[in-house]
Amino acid sequence: MGGLAVDIRGISKRYDQHVAVRELSLEVPTGTVYGLLGPNGAGKTSTIRMILNVILPDTGQITILGRPNTDEAILDRVGYLPEERGLYKKMKVRDVLRFLAELKGIGAKEANRRIDEWLERLALKTAEKDWGNAKVDELSRGMQQKAQFIGTLLHDPDVVILDEPFSGLDPINAQALKDTVVELKRRGKTVIFSTHLMDNAERLCDSVCIIARGEKVLDGTVAGVKAEHAGRFVAVACDNANEPAVQAIMRDRTLVRNVDDQNTFFELEMVPGTDPQLLLTRLVEARAAIRRFELVQPSLHRIFLEKVGATGVEPGMSGHG
Amino acid sequence: MAKLWAVIRREYVERVRSKWFLIGTFLGPVFMLVITVMPIWLASRTKATAGLTNIQVLDATQSPIGARVVSKLAAIPLEGGGGAAPVLKTVPVDGLVTAEAAATKAVMDKEVKGYLVLSGVAPAEVKVRYAGRNASTVNDMQVLRDAVRTSVLAMRLEGAGLDPAKISELTSVRVAMDEEVLDDRGRAGGGSGKGSIIVGYLVSFLLYMMIMLYGQNILRGVMEEKTTRVAEVVVASVRPDILLAGKVIGAGAVGITQQLIWIFSGVLIFSQRVPIMKAFGLGELPISMPTIGAGFLFVTLLFYIFGFLFYASLFAAVGAMVSNQEDAQQAAMPVTIILVLSVIFMQPLLLAPNGNMARIMTLVPSASPVLMPLRMSMVDVPAWEIALSLALVAAACAVSIYISARIYRVGLLMYGKKPNMAELIRWIRYAG
Repeated sequence: MGGLAVDIRGISKRYDQHVAVRELSLEVPTGTVYGLLGPNGAGKTSTIRMILNVILPDTGQITILGRPNTDEAILDRVGYLPEERGLYKKMKVRDVLRFLAELKGIGAKEANRRIDEWLERLALKTAEKDWGNAKVDELSRGMQQKAQFIGTLLHDPDVVILDEPFSGLDPINAQALKDTVVELKRRGKTVIFSTHLMDNAERLCDSVCIIARGEKVLDGTVAGVKAEHAGRFVAVACDNANEPAVQAIMRDRTLVRNVDDQNTFFELEMVPGTDPQLLLTRLVEARAAIRRFELVQPSLHRIFLEKVGATGVEPGMSGHG
Repeated sequence: MAKLWAVIRREYVERVRSKWFLIGTFLGPVFMLVITVMPIWLASRTKATAGLTNIQVLDATQSPIGARVVSKLAAIPLEGGGGAAPVLKTVPVDGLVTAEAAATKAVMDKEVKGYLVLSGVAPAEVKVRYAGRNASTVNDMQVLRDAVRTSVLAMRLEGAGLDPAKISELTSVRVAMDEEVLDDRGRAGGGSGKGSIIVGYLVSFLLYMMIMLYGQNILRGVMEEKTTRVAEVVVASVRPDILLAGKVIGAGAVGITQQLIWIFSGVLIFSQRVPIMKAFGLGELPISMPTIGAGFLFVTLLFYIFGFLFYASLFAAVGAMVSNQEDAQQAAMPVTIILVLSVIFMQPLLLAPNGNMARIMTLVPSASPVLMPLRMSMVDVPAWEIALSLALVAAACAVSIYISARIYRVGLLMYGKKPNMAELIRWIRYAG
């Protein structure tokens, strides 16, 4: 393995009124699960469309597996699941899937074999009913999502790009998706997915990139990103947190940069360069009834909020889990 | 290429499989049968009704015209054996009013069905009027009109020095009357004039229908791909211009398939017309099988292909521009209007196929695919005009595909508001 599955160098994309992506550079190593994180409107979908050469960047270059993405042959090795899903409603499932496979250069015969395999695997073809022969609009929403997912993977792509794959999935399909992502990684494939759900990203991704307002905020391995922010986050449980003395310490901006106040539980971010021990000492001096004081690894969610800031997140878009 | 082929095949197979195609293809020949049989059937109904000849003919022209009309009418075979022969009354010009009053009374007393008034100067300026109980019966009036017209014509020909025997031979045939109407249209055509005009008219109308129906079908298809977001998956695998080309070619091929089925069944029906007519209890068709040259067919096919590409790509661009049905209708309006314009020019072209209007309109790329086959079926269009017309439509086709591909590429992923003209121009200019 080794090498880069996707290498983005300084791409920008400007629409009439606004800049969707600004000077973005990313490196996605081959064989990893890569999360593209950001609030809605951050430029995730634009970035993904540019990777797929569906829209052209105003500046910058993108290579996939070492080849420029304007090379059509290289795009045949990419599988794509768009955020807004859709299939030809009046067509038979099997015919749609064969069509999608043919667009990736798979012959009809080989496509048919794989379609059967996948339909059985995702329980769309059972002893009683073969949904492959049904029209797309006869399928339930969940089944349509499965069919679309088959369409993404039918040509056994080396790079799989999923735009908000978890949105609209029921828990069972969401689990099936996670399983498939893990399996793809085991088989050496590269998976890139965008999400605003940090829990999924934290569990699934090897590396992440957080973008907001079209710009990269941070990127790196999940472990690396968390380590970089470790030692600065403190979880405190305190019974008399409403005491003015305790409150004063929590609000001391020379010590505490940011506090997530949950009444008797606090997640604090220390001002860089300050020692959490100092915080503990001061809390004890203020006679705080401490039940718990722990240096914690921040969640991606926490880091995301810290980095993007409240202004970068549209209301309701910071979805946790 | 394999991808283009996949797009073409999907488009073709899905359309041919649809109910819409089946119904349209089946109804086509039925329609054709109806328009072939209907005129004959109607013509066969045009027998004079019983008692038609039971009329008075008031001749105030002081000429033999009245006698001629009467003998004409008396010779007409009538349903149910006929009634009394028409009564000729020669009246002086100033006695017409009294004669008419008497005739009116005769009609009221049910002695006669009606009366025919001939006045003016025969044969130059005969004035004809009919009053009677059957004045609103279209067929009866047709028979009377024909009798008068033939008589007047015979008198004029005699005046021009033609042999009376020859004239009666010529004018006794009713179809001979039709020939006068057809003169302007058919004379220059050569071959089986009337038949080839019908074919030319059918071909032109079919081309128009095909372009309109399939063009709007493509519009809907593109819009559906866009609104169901299938387009996004597809354009991640295949370039938008390939997708556009595949859709247009696929739908165009469906149109050709349908036309071939129609032409084939039309020829089949026509070759079996005698037994079919018999089955309907009708006589022989007055038109013979037109001979269609291979050259005409080839040129027509070229016009169909270019015309279809021209309009279909524009319709596809419109489909990519909009996100809902109402916007689609509005945005398709300019395209539909220029297409409909070509049909509006069919009428002037029929009247003067070599007139300036016809010559210009068969060079205008938006109209020539519909009008040129029609004009070619009527007159010998100079080869250079056909070549120029084809070259112009091919060039227009290239421009329309180029512009449409650009609109298509941008529009396919733009949702929401329909673009205005300025935005559209930006889309076309836009490289990405």
